[in-house]
Amino acid sequence: MSDPVILSVADYLALVNTALASVPRDLIVEGEISDYKIAHQKWISFDLKDEGGQAVLKCFMTMWQLQTQLEDGMRVRVTGKPGVSPRFGKFQLNVDDVQPVGEGALKRAYELLKKKLLEEGVFDAGRKRDLPRFPKRIGLITSRDAAAYGDFLRILNNRWGGMEIDFVHVHVQGREAVQEILGAFAYFNRLPEGPLERPGTSGRVGDRPEVLILVRGGGGLEDLHAFNDERVVRAVFQSRIPVIVGVGHERDESLCDYAADMRASTPSNAAERLTPHRDQVLYEVEVMARHIETRFVERVADRKRRLETAAGAMALTIERRGMDLQRIVRHLHEQVDVWLPPLCAKLDATMRLLASLDPARVLQRGYAIVRAAGRVVTDASVLDADMGIRVQLANGSVDAKIVGGKRKPGQQALI
Amino acid sequence: MPPRNDEYMPPKKQQNFATSFKELEEITRWFETGEMDLDQGLKKFERGLELAKLCKEKLAEVENKVKEIKVKFENE
Repeated sequence: MSDPVILSVADYLALVNTALASVPRDLIVEGEISDYKIAHQKWISFDLKDEGGQAVLKCFMTMWQLQTQLEDGMRVRVTGKPGVSPRFGKFQLNVDDVQPVGEGALKRAYELLKKKLLEEGVFDAGRKRDLPRFPKRIGLITSRDAAAYGDFLRILNNRWGGMEIDFVHVHVQGREAVQEILGAFAYFNRLPEGPLERPGTSGRVGDRPEVLILVRGGGGLEDLHAFNDERVVRAVFQSRIPVIVGVGHERDESLCDYAADMRASTPSNAAERLTPHRDQVLYEVEVMARHIETRFVERVADRKRRLETAAGAMALTIERRGMDLQRIVRHLHEQVDVWLPPLCAKLDATMRLLASLDPARVLQRGYAIVRAAGRVVTDASVLDADMGIRVQLANGSVDAKIVGGKRKPGQQALI
Repeated sequence: MPPRNDEYMPPKKQQNFATSFKELEEITRWFETGEMDLDQGLKKFERGLELAKLCKEKLAEVENKVKEIKVKFENE
């Protein structure tokens, strides 16, 4: 008989943990949560109870592993690594993943998360951004196999044109969905801003879109799990690019709907929310053009009217002045018999006077004009003997020489 | 007179539908205000009709271009 192996407690537990490691890691345990506790906002522990209530598995995980809301009574499926914690000597399941199971549990988890996000303000209306009226470049996140893809594009093409659509294909449910949708959001948000922020450049693929569209068809809670996943909802909320979410039918709701900048009732409705209809916009353009034309013509006509009024006023003034002038002239003509005769009489009198003063007339009467050195002489004292004078008579003139004998007027003279 | 081949043509300013429509709205608003300088009015009138024409041309564009992007997803 061989000697029995003796181990320390720690060694024994290490051995047990090694043995436990051979339990497949991907086994799923299903049970009901009870005694759910969070310590120091870091450590989560709960009991996983068997349906019959006869067996209990103690579960342990950290806060940051948690991707769903849990509470007592919830039915869940857990995967993890079984082990004995050496410190406390307790057998527990170190949880890798926990998922609510069954409609009831899923609904409960959904409602808990909804409440939590609502209180955080993730659904606040005030934070929702405006969408551009005429988007040029958009990002589309959906499955190319989904009817949603075709519906969205068909309605979009009916309504608007000239857009660039950057499409990222993702699974909208199933294992890969959450990671792929998160990847799509990350990709678009990492892109550099586009030409609207860099005028003068032309847009190209690789520029950030103006709006993101996240759509899928309808489904139950399990189908929509990705759209109710906390990480995806936060990606929608935190996206720098505004997001339109359109899930399934009118009745379907997801938490992404509430976090979105704009909620569309269906994928087709998402196209309706994204762009206007070109007919409506065409109508608006025509109304504006007509408006401009009408107003402009009005102003021109108004200006013309005012100019004509001013011109008319001026013409009126000129006409009136002309009439005044005419009146004055007419008056003159009418009164000519009054003012003309006296004028003529005065003229005649003046002419007669002038005539009588004419020196030639005086000469006719026998007088002579004497000039010495070209000047008329009226005073005999300026004439000396032997001075030459010229004598002008009525008919002709003679040159003469002074002989002598100046006399004052009144004295007789011997020639 | 059409430009000769060697004549310099300055590059067109980036004009898309959104900017054209917005400018058209501004001109329409301008015409609503009372007084108007006729010279400016004529310029804006011509520009307005030009913009309306541009907008109608863009609206006639029917096609949307879809381009698929392959994104590398991080593995969990």
